[in-house]
Amino acid sequence: MEPPRSSGVGIDNSGEYSPEIAETLRFEEEIQSLIHPSSFDGSAAPTGGGSFTALLGLPANQAVELLHDSGAREPLASRIRVGGHPVHRPFHLPLDCSSAFPSNATLVDRAARFSVFAAEGSPASSSGRLKAEPQDSDSPPLDPIPTGPAKRKDTGRSKCDVRLSLSFKSQAKATAKKSKNAEENTDGDKLPYVHVRARRGQATDNHSLAERARREKINVRMKLLQELVPGCSKITGTALVLDEIINHVQTLQRQVEFLSMRLAAVNPRIDFSSLDSYLSAECGPVTVRNGPGGVVVDPSLWPTDATAEATRRLLVPQFWHIDLVPPQLQPQQSLTTWERDGAAHSQLLPNPTTSLFLYDPANSGNANVPHLTAKLKTAEDRALNL
Amino acid sequence: MIASPSSSSSARGSKKAITKPGFKDQAESKWRTAAQQRIYGRRLIDALRATAPSGPHAVKEASDSALALTARGQSRWSRAILLGRRRRPSCKFLLKARRGRRQPKPPPPALKQGMAASPEGKKVSDRLRVLGRLVPGCRKLSAPSLLEEAADYMVALEMQVKTMRALAEALSAASLNAAEPGS
Repeated sequence: MEPPRSSGVGIDNSGEYSPEIAETLRFEEEIQSLIHPSSFDGSAAPTGGGSFTALLGLPANQAVELLHDSGAREPLASRIRVGGHPVHRPFHLPLDCSSAFPSNATLVDRAARFSVFAAEGSPASSSGRLKAEPQDSDSPPLDPIPTGPAKRKDTGRSKCDVRLSLSFKSQAKATAKKSKNAEENTDGDKLPYVHVRARRGQATDNHSLAERARREKINVRMKLLQELVPGCSKITGTALVLDEIINHVQTLQRQVEFLSMRLAAVNPRIDFSSLDSYLSAECGPVTVRNGPGGVVVDPSLWPTDATAEATRRLLVPQFWHIDLVPPQLQPQQSLTTWERDGAAHSQLLPNPTTSLFLYDPANSGNANVPHLTAKLKTAEDRALNL
Repeated sequence: MIASPSSSSSARGSKKAITKPGFKDQAESKWRTAAQQRIYGRRLIDALRATAPSGPHAVKEASDSALALTARGQSRWSRAILLGRRRRPSCKFLLKARRGRRQPKPPPPALKQGMAASPEGKKVSDRLRVLGRLVPGCRKLSAPSLLEEAADYMVALEMQVKTMRALAEALSAASLNAAEPGS
């Protein structure tokens, strides 16, 4: 009988082309077996063409027409239709189609090729085109069928069962819907069958996945920010939350500005040189704690300041290093880099603007106000002992 | 002192309360430790001392730089601050200031509407742009990294404000005390 041969053809073709084709063809074979529990032989090669059109389940002319309509995708559709059709016209066609043998061979080729492509992801336009199929009264069954074989065998089989049980037109719609639902869980836009939006589970399409990951990232960070900003947890909506965040950042920056003005106002009244002594007093016992690299790095960094300034600066960065070493012991190298940067940076920052000023207070300060020192020290201590 | 005990307790409390993994943990534990505040405070003092007679601008710059230093270069904004200050501070500062603040309104928000329309609406992209302008060095940054930087920056700013306030209070109190006996 033809159907067995067609399945045999399928097997042969699958041998030639790809495992997907083998699957799809095996699927058809199984369908056939469901219908006709006759044993199949896998060695009916030359009848491939005729059986192909036989599998089509339509007269050869219709099959050819379908095939030629959409060019490449036809064979797939038509071939897939095979699976559904044996119910209706398994027996009549083979005889009719034998005349169309040679063309069918090419159709088989194309079908095989495009089943591969379908599995890998043929253009979605084919799906679009297939979607248009149900509107045609000619080949409603095309829709469910294409989805079947290229997808997993099981779903296809179930679809086939559905198809077998129902009439074709209703089947088309039902299986199309079923395929849609089932498709959601598989590739998104890759397969030609997917005229589906991934609504049920999550789309496993690369694009959707990337989108989802990106959105997740953004949402996580937004949540963090929401918790940081007071009063933002109640606000819903990204834009409003961002508003609040911006507001908060601006507030903080303004506060920094005001405080800096305040400090600037306070500064002239206090001899910062007194802080020198304060710091130097701290430096003594602290140097013990200092890492080996810290102190060594400093002197090399300030070749420019050769005056008393240099000594002062040496003390200062040492102090910094001392501070830095205890909290972060691991990255010594990064420490030194940052210390160097910090020291150099502090050098650079005041240098162009305040180099003139620095000398005066430094030189004069040491002799000036020892009584301020103590007060400052306590004040600073209190301020900094947090 | 006025703010120090509360700030210390709040710092420690917040540090312990927040145990979420990920960026928040890093940001919080990084910036809200008392040690960090001390470090920053000392750095600030030094910087202030270095720029003593200058106006509030210099003070702010110095404090920002000190803050960025304390960040140890792990955040983009800190690197941006330091790099901006380092090379030709006056020019760069002016340039950045002018460009940053006097720039006309950005082009219409037809940009970031790529994939998801709902969270990335026009408003959101607008606000993201504004946020990028606020956080130094984060103008052209993607949304997730921008948000991360903003979180870090916010925590750092909070610490800065705290420390500066404490310092200002201490210094003013000290100066008052010093002024009283008649220097």
